[in-house]
Amino acid sequence: MYINWAEQEINLKIVYYGPGLSGKTTNLMHIYNKLDSSMRSELVSLSTKEDRTLFFDFMQLEIGEIKGKKPKFNLYTVPGQVYYSNSRRIILNGADGIVFVADSQKERNDENLDTLLDLENNLIDKGESLQDIPWVLQYNKRDLPNRESVSVLQKKLNFWGVPYFESVAHRGVAVFPTLKEIIKRVIVHIQSI
Amino acid sequence: MNLNKGGNGQPIVLSGEMYKSIADVLTDLSSKTRAKTIIFADMNGHPITQRGQTTEINIPNMAALAAGDFAATAEMAKMVGEKKRFKYLFHEGEKTNIYLSNVGEGFLLIVVFDSDIALGMIRIFTKRAIDTLSELLANAKEEEQKASKFLDVEFSNYLNQELDKAFNF
Repeated sequence: MYINWAEQEINLKIVYYGPGLSGKTTNLMHIYNKLDSSMRSELVSLSTKEDRTLFFDFMQLEIGEIKGKKPKFNLYTVPGQVYYSNSRRIILNGADGIVFVADSQKERNDENLDTLLDLENNLIDKGESLQDIPWVLQYNKRDLPNRESVSVLQKKLNFWGVPYFESVAHRGVAVFPTLKEIIKRVIVHIQSI
Repeated sequence: MNLNKGGNGQPIVLSGEMYKSIADVLTDLSSKTRAKTIIFADMNGHPITQRGQTTEINIPNMAALAAGDFAATAEMAKMVGEKKRFKYLFHEGEKTNIYLSNVGEGFLLIVVFDSDIALGMIRIFTKRAIDTLSELLANAKEEEQKASKFLDVEFSNYLNQELDKAFNF
C-alpha cells in the first residue's frame, strides 16, 4: 500500500495466487480485454516461450476519481509451477489482498492444497497469515466434466470461510465479481487499521 | 513510521511536504543529467513521482518491472553471499540506457537516458540525489495521518457504485 496525500492517491497491490495452469493469467487477460484502455495500463507478461508465467504478469487498474481520491489497483499474478517458489515469495511482498485461483479438476486437489499451504508459509515468513490478510477463493474451470464438487473443495481449501466464486475464467464467468470482492475486502481492511 | 521500511511490505504514507521535497530532488536531478525520464518508486513497484518524458513510457509498468528486476537480483546477491541487495543495476541499449539504484531498503530510482550521455555523470548526480533522498526519508517524522483516515465509509460506498458501473458486462 502506498498513500500520497499531496496527490490524493492510493496504490494497492492485489496478487493472484494458485497452482500452475489454474487460470491466474487468464483472469488478468479477461480483465484487460474487457476494460476500456482509459481504466487500465498495458498488460505486462513475463512468460516463457510456451506462454507459462516465468516471473509475473502485471496490470494497473484505475477506477477514476472517487470523492477527490484516486485509487489505483496493481494486479499481479505469480508463476504457479512448484519450481518458481522464490518468485512467488518475492511477488507476495507488499500484497494488500490475494485471490487464490484453484483448479476445480479432481486430479488437481493435492496441488491446490499444496499451493495454499505454500501461500500460508510465505505469509507467515512475512509475519502475516491467511487469518488476517484480505483474500478470496476462486474455484476455476467449473465447465470441465472432471470437476470436483464445490462442497468437497470448500472442505479441502476454505478453512477460513472466505467468500468463494465458481468461475470459468476463459469465458469471463465470475472474473469481475471476484475482483470486486477482493477490492471491497481490501478497502474494509484498510479502514480497520 | 520509518519510511525506509516500505520495502518490507509496510504501508507507505507520504505527507504533502515529503512528496514535494522528493519531487524537488527529481527536478534537480533531471535538469543536471538531461536524462530522458526519471522515476521514483517504492520497492513494491508503486510509482511515486516522475520527471522528464513521462508520456512515452508507461510509468506503472516500468516501476513494476524495475521492482521485479531488483527483487530478482537481490536473490542473486544472496546466492553469491552478499548481505545486501546490489546497489545499482545498469542496462545498456543501443540508443537508450537505464540506470536503476536502490534508495534505502524501500525505494528505487529509475534513470532513463540517451546512450551518448556519459554513464559517469549519471552515476555522480544520481548518487548525490540518492544521498539527499535517503536523508529526507530517514528523517521523516511519524505520519499522523493513518491509512484508515484516507478512506472513509463514504468513499467505500462510492467506490462500490463505481465498480458496479465499471464491471457491468
